[in-house]
Amino acid sequence: MTLLLQALINGLMTGALIAVPAIGFSAIFAVLRYPNFAIASYATIGAFVAWWANAGLGLPVVPALAIAFAVTGVVGVVAEEISLKRLRDNGALIVAIASIALNLVLENIVRFIFGNDMKGYDLPLARDLRFGELRIGPQQLQSLALAAIIMAAMFLFLRYTRFGKAMRAVADNPDLARLKGIDPARIAIVTVFLGAGLSGVGGVLIGLDTSIDPLTGYRVLLSVFAAAVLGGLGSIPGAVVGALALGVAEELALIVTPATYRTAVGFVAILIMLTFRPRGILGERAA
Amino acid sequence: MANGDLANGGLLAVDGVVAGYGAAEQILKGCSLHVGAGEIVSIIGPNGAGKSTLLKTIAGLVSAREGAIVLNGADVTSEGALGRARHGIGFVPQERNVFGAMTVAENLEISGFQDPGKVRERSEELYARYPMLASKRRALARTLSGGQRQILAMAMGLMNAPALLLLDEPTAGLSPKAAEELFEAIVALNKGGLPILMVEQHALEALEISTRGYVLVSGRNSREGSGPALAADPEIRRLFLGG
Repeated sequence: MTLLLQALINGLMTGALIAVPAIGFSAIFAVLRYPNFAIASYATIGAFVAWWANAGLGLPVVPALAIAFAVTGVVGVVAEEISLKRLRDNGALIVAIASIALNLVLENIVRFIFGNDMKGYDLPLARDLRFGELRIGPQQLQSLALAAIIMAAMFLFLRYTRFGKAMRAVADNPDLARLKGIDPARIAIVTVFLGAGLSGVGGVLIGLDTSIDPLTGYRVLLSVFAAAVLGGLGSIPGAVVGALALGVAEELALIVTPATYRTAVGFVAILIMLTFRPRGILGERAA
Repeated sequence: MANGDLANGGLLAVDGVVAGYGAAEQILKGCSLHVGAGEIVSIIGPNGAGKSTLLKTIAGLVSAREGAIVLNGADVTSEGALGRARHGIGFVPQERNVFGAMTVAENLEISGFQDPGKVRERSEELYARYPMLASKRRALARTLSGGQRQILAMAMGLMNAPALLLLDEPTAGLSPKAAEELFEAIVALNKGGLPILMVEQHALEALEISTRGYVLVSGRNSREGSGPALAADPEIRRLFLGG
């Protein structure tokens, strides 16, 4: 029972970290209608920018996170404007493939700048908190709280701000949005900034939990994609639900399978979902 | 023709517009019409005549390959939908005309995106005009009935205080009672001074409330005249109305 509870807690923690980049991935898909796999490199860039701010400049985690968000958001917009935007008229598949190429380019730029070595944030050492036989790391709790705050902020932005509502309108019906005087190109820039920024923040949260290297984002790409598919591509609440479900499923799978099979859980989740409910848990459109 | 009408105080002039969807496809083969201040103008015609394409071309969703579209003296032919909306064209499409995943209140709010300072005031005016919207303001648009959705779509078209409202088959799919109520709502709007250009499948009813009407056949103007006169014309009734 303790084992199950511990797996459940760990799963929710992991899921919350995946949920942040998954929101970014889903937001970009909802507005621009293509899967942007370059979010893996945005996560890596965010992780390294925050590491530079934290370990290099000595800033605490929260300001480092804010800097990572802003820098990654700008990188995302510049990369989009230079490369992916020009390909949008050729269809989602072409842009998706181009985003994989963009991911490789950005990942290797990180490699050139920061090297291949693993790096860790400058964090105070602290003992795990114990609740009976259950153990939770203080850093995990902090990351969970940060993820929850970021997700709440994103929901508030989408629900109550003018630009958030415009994003939802463009995601729902871009032609109608244009008729209402909303410029989809402007909304696309805001969306890519947020999506890339959130992916960067996700990279930082994952890095806080472990360590970082140029493949940090790539390693979680499948989980992020699986979370978005599970929840329903383009659905932001769906991305959160999908990420939490996937996190728990991965941790529960570890009880009965070796850790090497952990990644397979994402593939299996995508297969099951696409077979039985292609639009995902909270998706509204047929996939 | 069109520019002459503008000189006489016309609001919209469409002159010899050629348009279509694919590179080779030509739906409109030289359509012209005009709408004057305070008018309701209907476009009728058989299926495939290009009526909806003409409205979409005026709204900027389809590009005109030839011809000119002039609104309030400004040539808007080269503008897209966004630019036309900013020039004061409000277009209510036939389908997918509301944001289904957003509430009624959010639909109105987002429709006033160009002028955020006026959103509250205009929303309240529209809630007063259409009490159904006020009672459903927290409901998701996709949960509304067909008639309610059309009222919402029309109200959304009014949020930017348009100079001209384009309605594409507003009564399509509605029950006779809901269609009658919608026609009443259109007349009431027009009495408030708003010019309306509409495409309507219920041609007879549309012509009866229209100042003028145009008959479109195979992408070209076929007939034009006053609404009641066209509605009473035996040839028109035989050809398009089954009368």
